[in-house]
Amino acid sequence: MALWLLRGLRRRIVTTGYPARPDPSATLLPTPPAFDPRRLTPELADRLARLCPSGALRRDGDVLLLDVGACTACGRCIQAAGGAARPSGVFELAATDPEQLHKRIPIQGATP
Amino acid sequence: MSDQEETLARELRHRATSLFGRSLHLRTVDTGSCAACESEIRLLAAPHYDLHRLGFFFTPTPRHADLLLVTGPAVRASDVALRKAYEATPDPKVVVATGACALGGVFSEDMLVHGAVEEVVPVDVRIPGCPPSPLALLQGLLVAVGRLEAKVATMSFRLDEAAS
Repeated sequence: MALWLLRGLRRRIVTTGYPARPDPSATLLPTPPAFDPRRLTPELADRLARLCPSGALRRDGDVLLLDVGACTACGRCIQAAGGAARPSGVFELAATDPEQLHKRIPIQGATP
Repeated sequence: MSDQEETLARELRHRATSLFGRSLHLRTVDTGSCAACESEIRLLAAPHYDLHRLGFFFTPTPRHADLLLVTGPAVRASDVALRKAYEATPDPKVVVATGACALGGVFSEDMLVHGAVEEVVPVDVRIPGCPPSPLALLQGLLVAVGRLEAKVATMSFRLDEAAS
């Protein structure tokens, strides 16, 4: 039985408190990766850009471009990057401008 | 943009927001989605998310809609349907592109798909995710009507800055 149903039967409220209160299940959602620039080498960045199935990661000189809109949160880069990437844990990703979704992550020791 | 235009744009945005202060009807438009997004949108009406408490309602016709929730990579076969739905929606209207496909992530442009909803109709709010969870959709809808700020602009997706 779903836990939220049990909780709802006990409290008589099944509805989430979001957006007034954070939803406890939000931590379980798959989220786009966040990168550690200190451990992001040029080789790793190239490998991650090749690996990304939806083309959300692209290397542009000395930065790794992450298109959050294109990311499907599949987790392949997190698996391949060792400790250099982790799930960001952010699910509130709605943007009014496409530029807000383009993130630039500096690559360690890369020449532009 | 000149100062005057900026003021006008701000006033227009404020007016649209106050117009949407009442309950708001949304219409979903599928442009070749795999139905994962639809499955999450359907969950919005379930007891746990209950979007009706926030004043959002689904409507079966774009003529009664204030907001179009567009999913899928905009396949060319659905061009006419999408344009008709857009034109039939009364102003002021908001178009929300939902999911990685609609934002241009999964399919590139070719003879069958446009690759992004933006290529066909103007998009106001983008909700990333594959599929976006109902919570992400709720946040996107609230951003669309100006009741929540878009948080993603301030985030860097870097671990060193996230920790501080």
